[in-house]
This record gives sequence, structure tokens and C-alpha cells, in this order.
Amino acid sequence: MCVLFNNGTHKELVSCVGWTTADELYSCSEDHQVFKWNLLTNETTLAVKLHDDIFPIDLHWFPKTVGGKKQALAETFVLTSTDGKFHLASKMGRIEKSVEAHRGAVLAGRWNYDGTALITAGEDGQLKIWSKSGMLRSTLAQQASPVYSVAWGPDCDRILYTSGKQLVVKPLQPSGRVLQWKAHDGVILKVDWSSVNDLILSGGEDCKYKVWDSYGRLLYTSSSHDYPVTSVAWAPDGELFAVGSFNTLRLCDKTGWSYALEKPNTGSVFSLAWSADGTQLAGACGNGQVIFAHVVEQRWEWKSFEVTLTKRRTMQVRNVVNDAVDVLEFRDRVIKASLSHGHLVVTTSLQCYVYSAKNWNTPLIFDLKEGSVSLILQAERHFLLVDGSGLYVYSYEGRLVSTPKFPGMRTDIMNTQTVSLSNDTVAIRDKTDEKVIFLFEALTGKALGDGKPLTHKMEVTEIALDQCGTGSDRKIALIDKNRDLYLTSVRRFGREQKINKIGTMVHTMAWNDSANILCGIQDVQFTVWYYPNAVFVDRDLLPKTMFMKDASEFSRAPHILNYVGTQVTVRRADGSLVCSSVVPYPTLLHEYAGSARWDDALRLCRFAKDQTLWACLAAMAMANRELTTAEVAYATIGEVDKVQYINSIKDLPSKESSLAHMLLFSGHVQEAESTLLQAGLVYQAIQVHINLYNWDRALELAVKHKTHVDTVLAHRQKFLQDFSKKETNKRFLQYSEGVEVDWEKIQAKIEMELANERERAATASVRSSVAPRR
Amino acid sequence: MLTGSVVMAKDPLADAGLHFDDLNKLRVLEPEVAQKTTELKEECKEFVDRIGQFQKIVGGLIELVDELAKEAETEKMKAIGARNLLKSVAKQRESQQQQLQALIAEKKMQLERYRIEYEALSKVEAEQNEFIDQFILQK
Repeated sequence: MCVLFNNGTHKELVSCVGWTTADELYSCSEDHQVFKWNLLTNETTLAVKLHDDIFPIDLHWFPKTVGGKKQALAETFVLTSTDGKFHLASKMGRIEKSVEAHRGAVLAGRWNYDGTALITAGEDGQLKIWSKSGMLRSTLAQQASPVYSVAWGPDCDRILYTSGKQLVVKPLQPSGRVLQWKAHDGVILKVDWSSVNDLILSGGEDCKYKVWDSYGRLLYTSSSHDYPVTSVAWAPDGELFAVGSFNTLRLCDKTGWSYALEKPNTGSVFSLAWSADGTQLAGACGNGQVIFAHVVEQRWEWKSFEVTLTKRRTMQVRNVVNDAVDVLEFRDRVIKASLSHGHLVVTTSLQCYVYSAKNWNTPLIFDLKEGSVSLILQAERHFLLVDGSGLYVYSYEGRLVSTPKFPGMRTDIMNTQTVSLSNDTVAIRDKTDEKVIFLFEALTGKALGDGKPLTHKMEVTEIALDQCGTGSDRKIALIDKNRDLYLTSVRRFGREQKINKIGTMVHTMAWNDSANILCGIQDVQFTVWYYPNAVFVDRDLLPKTMFMKDASEFSRAPHILNYVGTQVTVRRADGSLVCSSVVPYPTLLHEYAGSARWDDALRLCRFAKDQTLWACLAAMAMANRELTTAEVAYATIGEVDKVQYINSIKDLPSKESSLAHMLLFSGHVQEAESTLLQAGLVYQAIQVHINLYNWDRALELAVKHKTHVDTVLAHRQKFLQDFSKKETNKRFLQYSEGVEVDWEKIQAKIEMELANERERAATASVRSSVAPRR
Repeated sequence: MLTGSVVMAKDPLADAGLHFDDLNKLRVLEPEVAQKTTELKEECKEFVDRIGQFQKIVGGLIELVDELAKEAETEKMKAIGARNLLKSVAKQRESQQQQLQALIAEKKMQLERYRIEYEALSKVEAEQNEFIDQFILQK
């Protein structure tokens, strides 16, 4: 972070600052003046000269986006003052309206995100909600002590405010539950609530700043500073926040640890404001100065490349293998950048630059519709830009591929946890209903399948699409509110959606970039799911395909940044990066299985002598119906029962029944049944249910197809005899009345069925072998 | 007789308050008195001159002393200022030290982060070397 000063234009302390555009700032001061700062021309002009008894305290611009529609510019702002009034003022500096609001000073005034309501907090301990035009709607709360700071919740349905040493979250609905907790040891001076990550920030006279989640759980508490913390502010993208104190300006990560500390000679920083693009920060200082700071020295790493933002418009690319250094210059300020999959994507306020890691000299440049890109996601073939008005998928050649959208989409609060991109799919978690995930075809921007979104039973906190393989096998991993990790396939093909749980207490996860391997931190274990798909093939095998390692080296609450090649990069809670390597064999195995080189796969497993790897191979082989390999693999990991079953599948006479039994092997009873019924193998379907002791369904099928009713009854009788029980099932009682059980006859019938099947399979195979010749 | 008449004539003139001086000019005052008067006049003039001179000298002196007083005053103020400054320097240093201390603490934290990262990377390197060795041995 670099700090620039501006000499005091104001004669008294500056109480508040607010941005209109990325380069224009308004500041108000106790010298009764509001100044306008133009950063492009370095001009400062007097915007408003207030009456001599108006001492302004807080300033907030009317939000730019109203009801999803974008206004060209912020046109009006609210100014609160010590005389108990708030003033609505225009950009030109005219006071449109002054409203008597509180007894004593009005300490804070904030617009909600869609600009439909204004909240003011007063020295008299009241919180009042006003309409856009300044009409009193309601008094939300009343307390004995002054309310120093107030913030809107992400959905504008809750209010966070200070009450002495306590923080209070109060819903606007009178019936909602009020949350109140003791947050600091001193009076709390400033709060902020990020709409992107839903985290709360507070700073107080106990000289500390703290980060909370919206349930009031403490996530981070800073060490004690020398002076009270007088201001806190979230960056628009929710990744950073700034903290101001006496002669102090601090830049912190959202998890609380500090990136940078500056000690400017400014007096107390009373108010901080980020520009909308999140690259600039302004502070209102006690000695009449307004300071500006820029975020620099950001770093991106991918494989052997290290990119650093050295200045606002300059980047340095270093290849650590040969120490080659390239310097990239940009015409405008760099707003966002992302380095992954061999490409560097940089957005400035007007353009998007795409560099290939092979050639840093000639970027591909295209213009952006709207400058403020808030998120860049990359996949192997294309990348995704999110700005204030929409989502755009671009190819690395700079072609706009698609623009996925759904009704009620809010792009301003999307982050890496709620949006995921792969070569063929885009997944977005809904904001209004957090259980819902919208899925889109990346190449067309249309909703996947029947257009119905994926709905989980619980609120989803994080989603991630796997990156490799074909689009039809695309899987999505999701973590829900209970911290359970689920895996499901993205494309459904008519079958009932199955969401399989593969982990519990998972706090963070990431897919590998070159194979469908998932890693995550499960409670205190660092876990790698070498082949998460195993859950669809053979559930019991999943634990055997996992690699676990003690995660104590990552300390408390780590976050996985990425999983590139064999290297997992983890950000610890204290901000340090920790790398950990994973053996390369699973990646190789994925490659062999993907290209059906089963002999190579076997050889690799024999070479590595690793049970986990064998388990993966078993699951992969079963998934690809490669029975011979599966048999070997299962034998090696000692799953004798499965080997036997595979052998029995091999002996099955027809293709259909072996397919059905393979489905059964993976536990898909319904699919197996329908496969058999489609092929006309009614008896086999019934037998499947008999074997599963699924008596009702067996009888139902038998009755429906008017065949083998006696077989079912016979097996049922035998079963009851074996367990010396009596028949209680009404349907069985009803059918058993008229039917006589004759085992010999039944056996003969079964024989006949099997013979029939064999015969049919033989003719089918002849036909299929004849067909290609034609 | 003529002389006698002159003497005779002289006396009435003197009685009338008229006298002749040496240059035989007619005088009202007695020549002696006149001379004394002139002398007195001369002396008075000289006295006035001297007094004037004295006044000038004294005036100069006063001015000089005033100037000195002024200078002494400014020096005194300067001394007080310097003394105050000296006192506040200690405080200033203290706050500067505090600021630097804070910056050092920040750098130390960063160093600690780098150390942890370095350790993790060293571990990865060791693991990879081990893996390579194993790989070569098995081949």
C-alpha cells in the first residue's frame, strides 16, 4: 500500500469522505465546507459552503445501482450534522432539503444498497429510518447511550449498530430476533458490514479491531493498538479492509491479519472510504488533511511465474526458473488481475488485457463495457469476468463466448466461493435462496438440462466445479452450512439427482487443475480425494481412495488457495502461505484411465505399491466397466466379496444383465431394474429384488407382468422359514392363497428363462457383429 | 574752557543714560555693562550648546539601552522556546519510537510469515528430493 498526502485544504478536522467515481471524492470538515477532489487533474474545488452553525459529521452518497438498474453517476448525498439535522445535497452543492432528525448530533447516516431507505443514528440513542425523500418511516430502536455507527446488512433486511461496548443486529421486521453481544472492552466507534462476504468489522476505544460473522461469532481480534481505532472500512470486493487510528492506517485481509501498516502524520483518521473499484482508499484526518492510498505490491503466482503489481499501472513478471523479468505497462490503473492456466488476465478501468505465459510482449486487448470488474475466474479454455451489470465468459482470444444470467441475479456480491467456472459449465449460487445453484452451459450461456437449478437441502456456502474430463461427467462439489462436503453431477439425463456426501467438517476445498482430484481440510485432517467419483461407483470404496494427513502445520482456520499440479497452497489464518505436495501418481492414474490405458495403470499401481492407488484404480475401472482391471485391483486391496461379484457379472449371459449388475454393484437398484425391464428380462429383475429382500417390489413386478408370482412366493416362504417367522404382509397373504408352491416347477421355469436369455444374447451378438459389415 | 564745557556737557549725557563708547558711538548702556552682557550672552550660548550636545548623547545612550533590552527580550524568548522544544523532543522521540516500534512489529510479522513459507517450501523440496531418489532406486 502506498500513501499519498494532500495538504490541508480544510482548516479544521475532516470528519468524513465519500467517493462519487473512481477519481472524484467529496470531503466534509468542521470548517463548514465540503470540498471536491478531482484526482485526475489534482484539482480541489469548494463544493458546498455550509452555514456557520452546521458542523458536518457524516457523509454518504446515494447508491449508484437502484433496483438492478445502473445510474450514470451518484447525484445526491446525505450530510449529517451536530445540530440534529440531516441534509440532502446535490452533486452541484445545493442543499435540497434539511430535516430535523434527532436531539443532539446526528452521528451517522447511511443509504441502503438499493437507495430506498436511509438510516440515521443520533446522540439521543435513536435509530430512524427515512424514505428517499427524507420522510420519517419509523424509529427502529431507542437506547440510553449514543449510537456511534450503523451499517446495513447485505440484504438490507437487518441493521447493525453500536450500543456502548455492545454490537446489535436488528432485523427490520419487528418479529425478527435481535442479536446483541458484547464486542469490545471500550466504546465501539465504527462498524462496517460487507455485503460480499457477510462479515462484520468493528473498532473501538479498547484500541482493537475485530472481525465477526453475521451470527456474532468472533473470527479475529487484533492486538491492542496504541490509540483507539477510529475508523474501519471494507473494500468493495470483500477481500480487504482498512483500519484507521491516530497516525495509523492499516490494510488487512478479510481474515484479519495485516498486509501493511502506514504511519502517516495525520492525526486520527476519522473516516475511511474505498473507491468503487477497490483500488483507492481515502481517509479523513484530524489535522485537516485528506489522505489517499493505493493498493500496490499485490502478487499472483502460478507455476514458475510470479507477477507483482509494482506501481498503479505497472506489473512485473518474473520467471523464477530463469530469472527472466518482464515489465508490463498499462494505460490506466490496474483494477483486477488473475494468473492461472497459462494466462494472465488484467483489467484496467477501460480495457482487459490477456497475456499468454509464453509471450509477455503482445497482449490481447479488448475494451470493457463497464470498467469496474469485480471478479475474474479462469478455466483452461476461457475466463469469466464479473462486473456491476453481468457475467461474461470470454475466450483467451478475446471473443465474448456467452453471458449467463438468471432473474434476480446480483453481480455485486459474487465471489470465488459462490461462482465457479469450468471448460463447459458455469455454476452460480443464488443469493436470495442460498440452497439453489444455477448451472449454465459455458459456451452458450443457457441453463443446463431442463433449466431447473440444482437445489440442496441446506444453505450452500461454497461451490467448485471439477476442471477436467468431458462435460457429461462434470461434477460439482459443494460445502453447505453444516460444513458437509457433497458431490453431485451437473448434467442429469433424466435420472433423479443424487447428491452424495463425501466429507464432514470441511472448511475449505479446491479441485486440482490437471486431474479431477479434490483436496480439502476436514476438521484437523488435510484430505485429498484422489478419485471423488468413487462415491458414484462404489460408496464403500471412497474412504480407501482418500489420502489423509495431519493438518496441524496449517494451524487454525486455513484456506486452500489453489491446487496446481502436485502442489497445494494454503493460506494460514496468520496470513502465511504454506505449500504442501501431493504424490504425482493419482494424476498419472487419472490420465491412464482417461485414455483407457489400463495396462499402464496396472503397472503404475504395482510400481507405487499403494493401497489407496489400487482402490482408485478399482473404482476407475468399475466406472469404465473395465472388469478385468477392476478384478485385479479389488483383489489387491483384499475386497474378496467384490472380486467374486465381478466374476459373477463376467459369467452373466447377456450384455443387459451384466450392465444391470454393474449398476447394482454401484447401488443403483432402480436403474438396474429399468435396464432389465427394458431388455424384457422380467424374471431377472424380479430375482434382483428377491436377492435384495425387496419383497414388495418383487411381488409387484411379478403381478404386474403376470409371471413368476410363485417364484416370489416360494422364496418368501423359504425366507420366513429360515428365520422362523410368520407371514404378516397382507399382499403376500392374499396372493399365497391361490398359488401352490412347487420348487421343481419353479426351478424348471428359471432354467428356461436363463436359457432364453442366453439364446437371445447369442442372436444379438451375431446381429451386432453382422451390423457393422453392412 | 572748551574742555571744561565738554566735561560739563558729558555729565548730563551720562545722567540721561547716554554714553559714548570707545568708537564714539552713542550707547544707552554703560560700555562696561554692555561688555559684560555680551560676555554673558556668549557664555549662555555655549551652555545651551553643551546642554544640547549632552541631550543628544544621552538620547543615543537610551536608544542603545532600549535596543539591548529588546535583544535581551528576544534572546530570552528564544531560550524559553529552546527549553520547551528540548522538553518536547523527548516526547517526540518517544512517539517516533512508538511508530517505528509498530512498523518493526509489522515487519517482524511479515518475516515470520516468510519464515513459515520458507520452511514449508523446504519441506516440499526435501519431499520431492526423496521422491526422486526413491524413483531412481526403484527403476
